[in-house]
Amino acid sequence: MLQRTQFLKRILTLNRLNRIQLRCSSTGTTSDEVSHFESLASTWWDVNGSQAILHRMNLARLDFVQRIIRNSIALNEEPTKASQDDVYIPGYNYKAFFPKEVSNAVSQDIRMTASSKLQKMKLNVLDVGCGGGILSESMGRLPFIKHVTGIDLAPDCITVAKSHARSDPLLQGKVSYHVKSLENVKGKFDIVTCFEMLEHVDHPEAILNHAWKRLNKEGILFISTINKDLVSWFTTIFVAENILGIVPRGTHHLSKYVNSKDIVQWFQKNEGSKYELLDLKGTMFIPIKGWVEHDCPNVGNYIMAIRKE
Amino acid sequence: MFTAARLGLRVNSSSSSVIIRRSLAATVKATTLAGEEAYEAAIKPTRAIPKLTDVLIVGGGPAGLTLAAGIKTSPELSNLSTVLVDAGDLQNKVGSFYHKPPEWYTNRVVSLTPKSLHFLEDRIGVKLMNERIQPYDGLYITDGCSNGTLDLEKDSMLYMVEILNIQSSLLNKISQMSFARESLNILDKVKVESIEYTNPTDPTSWPIVTLSNGEVYKTRLLVGADGFNSPVRKFSNLYSRGWAYNTYGLVATMKLKYQPFKIRGWQRFLPTGPIAHLPLPGDNATLVWSTGGESLSKLLLSIKPEQFAILVNAAFVLDDIDMQYYYKKLHDNAITTEELQKDVDCRIEQVFESKGIDKMDDTFIDEHYPPIVSEIIDNTRARFPLRYSHADKYVTDRIALVGDAAHTTHPLAGQGLNMGQGDVESLVNTLEKATLRGLDIGSLLALEPFWAERYPFNNVRLGMADKLHKLYHTSWSPIVGLRTLGINLTNKFDPVKDGIIDTLAGGQFNAD
Repeated sequence: MLQRTQFLKRILTLNRLNRIQLRCSSTGTTSDEVSHFESLASTWWDVNGSQAILHRMNLARLDFVQRIIRNSIALNEEPTKASQDDVYIPGYNYKAFFPKEVSNAVSQDIRMTASSKLQKMKLNVLDVGCGGGILSESMGRLPFIKHVTGIDLAPDCITVAKSHARSDPLLQGKVSYHVKSLENVKGKFDIVTCFEMLEHVDHPEAILNHAWKRLNKEGILFISTINKDLVSWFTTIFVAENILGIVPRGTHHLSKYVNSKDIVQWFQKNEGSKYELLDLKGTMFIPIKGWVEHDCPNVGNYIMAIRKE
Repeated sequence: MFTAARLGLRVNSSSSSVIIRRSLAATVKATTLAGEEAYEAAIKPTRAIPKLTDVLIVGGGPAGLTLAAGIKTSPELSNLSTVLVDAGDLQNKVGSFYHKPPEWYTNRVVSLTPKSLHFLEDRIGVKLMNERIQPYDGLYITDGCSNGTLDLEKDSMLYMVEILNIQSSLLNKISQMSFARESLNILDKVKVESIEYTNPTDPTSWPIVTLSNGEVYKTRLLVGADGFNSPVRKFSNLYSRGWAYNTYGLVATMKLKYQPFKIRGWQRFLPTGPIAHLPLPGDNATLVWSTGGESLSKLLLSIKPEQFAILVNAAFVLDDIDMQYYYKKLHDNAITTEELQKDVDCRIEQVFESKGIDKMDDTFIDEHYPPIVSEIIDNTRARFPLRYSHADKYVTDRIALVGDAAHTTHPLAGQGLNMGQGDVESLVNTLEKATLRGLDIGSLLALEPFWAERYPFNNVRLGMADKLHKLYHTSWSPIVGLRTLGINLTNKFDPVKDGIIDTLAGGQFNAD
C-alpha cells in the first residue's frame, strides 16, 4: 500500500517535471537543423534539385488531404426519424449492387455535391515548418482554402517562400509566411499541417500540444513523419542520403524519428475521446510511380489525419 | 463619315500596335537586366499591360478546339481563363459549316477511332453532325506487288469524319455553353507575333504572347496546338526529330458508281505509296493517295477529273508497271480520256481473266475490289507533304505541345488526328489532377505526367506507320516475298488480327 502511494507520487512528480519541461521547452529546434535547411533554401523550388523527392511527396500529401476533406464533408443533413424511413441510403459498396449507369450516376452525384459544398467552405490553414512553401502554395491554390499561414524557423526558407509565392497572381493574399515558432502563433485554424517536421524537432509532443491548441472544433490536424525503425533508417538515411544522394546528407537523424503508435498514444493519453483518427497510412516512394500509400503505417514513412471533436 | 471613323480607328489601332512591338523590343534588354519589375515599368506607358490568362492555346484545329472545350466542360478546370488564337477564320468559315453544310463532302476527312469519338461525344458532350459520319466495318488491305491480303473485320471499327465537322461541332458546343465572359476567348484571324518569357533568364516565368491584333497576353500555360511548323515548339526549344518522306498525300472526294453493300475501307500498297479508298455516307467516298515524288503528285493534280477517277479504279487492280505506263502517257499528253478508259477496262479484264475471276461475278469482285469511282468532285483534289516527326519532349516549364506540333505521321494507319485527340484527353486529365493537387498547372511538375503517358503510346504508332511505309515502299522481290508471307500468315491468325484491329481502333478501352 505504501509502496503504491509512493509509486503514484513518483509518477505525479514525473508528470509535473514533464510539464515544467514542456513549458520551458520551445516548439523550436536546434540551430543545426535551422542552418541545414538554410543551406538548402536556394534550391528549394528546383523540382529536380535538392527537394526533388519532397516535391513528389507533396503530390501524395495533397491527394491525401483532398481525400480526407472530401470524405469528411457531410453530404446530407442529419436524417430525421421520419425521413429515414422513406430514404434509401445505399451502403458504401453500392457499386456492387447497382447497374453501371446507376452507380455511375450515384458517384457523379456524390462528387458534384461534395464539390459544391467544398466551394462554399473557406478554410484557414496553418502550415507548421513550411520551408520554401511547397505545401503552402499547393494548399493556397485550392478553391476551398481561404488563407494559408506558413511558419518556419529558417529565415532564408521564408525569404524563398515569399519570393516564390509572388510569381503566381493566384496566391496573392492567400498565403503569408512568418519566421515564427509554433507557440507564438495566435488565432485558430481549420487545418494545421505538420508535414515532415516532427522528425526535425526536439520535443514532438510539444508540437502536438500546441498544434492541437491552434485547431478549431472539428478542425483537422495532418501529420506526416517517419517511424523510428530499421526500415526507416535503411530507406531514408542509408539509401536516400548515402547511396543515391536524392535527399541532402544530414537531413535526417534516426534518434529524432517518431513512431506512429506514439502519436496515437499521445492523443489517447492527453485528449481522451476528444479526437478522431480519420486515417493513418504508410507511404513509400517507388521510382517511376512516385509516392504511394500502403497499409503498414508502423513501418517507414506515414501520414495521418486527426479531427478535433 | 462612317468610313472616316473606321479609317481613323484603324490608323489608331495599327499605330498603337507598332508602339507595342517597339516597346517590347526595347524592353527585352531591360528585362534581362532587372527582371520583371523593369519590364512592367517599361511596358506601362504604352498601355499594353499584358492581360493575364491561365491557358493560351495557339491553333484552332481539332486538337486546340477540343482542348478549349475540354477545359470548359471539366468541373475542375472550367474556372481557368482560356484564350485560343487561330490565324484562320474560325467563326465564319468553320463555324458556319455546322448550320449550313455544303452538299458535297469536303476533302479533309479523317478516320476517327471509337476511343476518340467516345472522348468527344461522351466526355466533352459534342454533338457531331451524325448524318455526315460514316462508320465502317473493316479494312481490306492488299499488296500492290503480290497477292498479300489482310482482311480486318469488326463492326463500327472506325468512323470517317470530316475535319470541318469536328471543328464546327466543337465551336457549336462552345457557343452553347454558359460561362463567364472572358473566361474563354476565341480570337480568330489573329497571328502570334512574338513569344518571350517575362524574365528571359527564368524559364519558369510566364510567357508573354504578343498578337497581331495588338493584344498582349501573359499566360500561366502556353499550349502549342499549332501544327507541324509549330511556333510554340520553336520558342520552347523542344527538339523535334524526323524526316520528310519525299512523298505527297493526295486527297479527293469521290462519287461511286453504286452504293457499296459492304461498308469498309480499302487500302492497297503500291510501290509509289499506299492508296486508300474510304467510305462516306451514301454513294460517296474519300481518297488518300500517297504518291511518291513531286512530279507524280503534280501530274495527278493536273489531269482531268475523269482521268483521275479512271486511275483510281485502275490502281486497285493493275500492276505498277501498267500504272507507270499510264502516268507516262498522261504526262506526255499522249492519251485521251476515252483511250485511257478503254485501255484500263481492257487491262482490268485481262487481270481478272488471268486470276480466273469471272468478270460477271459481282459478288466476288465486290468482296475483293473497292466500289468503282464514277466521278471526282470538283476542286476537292489537294496534296500535302508527308513526314515523320516526333518531339523529344512535349512539355517544358509553362509549355505543352499537342497534336501535330508534337508529332506528325504518315496517314497510312489513320492515326494522326487520333493521336492528337489522345494527347488532349491526357492533357485534360493531367490538368485536372494537378488542379486537385493545388499545383501550378504551368509547372513542369504538373505537366510531366502528360508527356510520360503520351510519348510511349505515340512512339509505337509513329514507328509502326514509319516501318510499314518503308516495308511497302519497295518492289524488290525478296522483301515482297517475305512481307507477303507475313501478311498472309497474319490474315489466317485471328488473335494477331484482333491485336491489329485493337491498335488501329485506339487501344483497348471500356465505353462506360
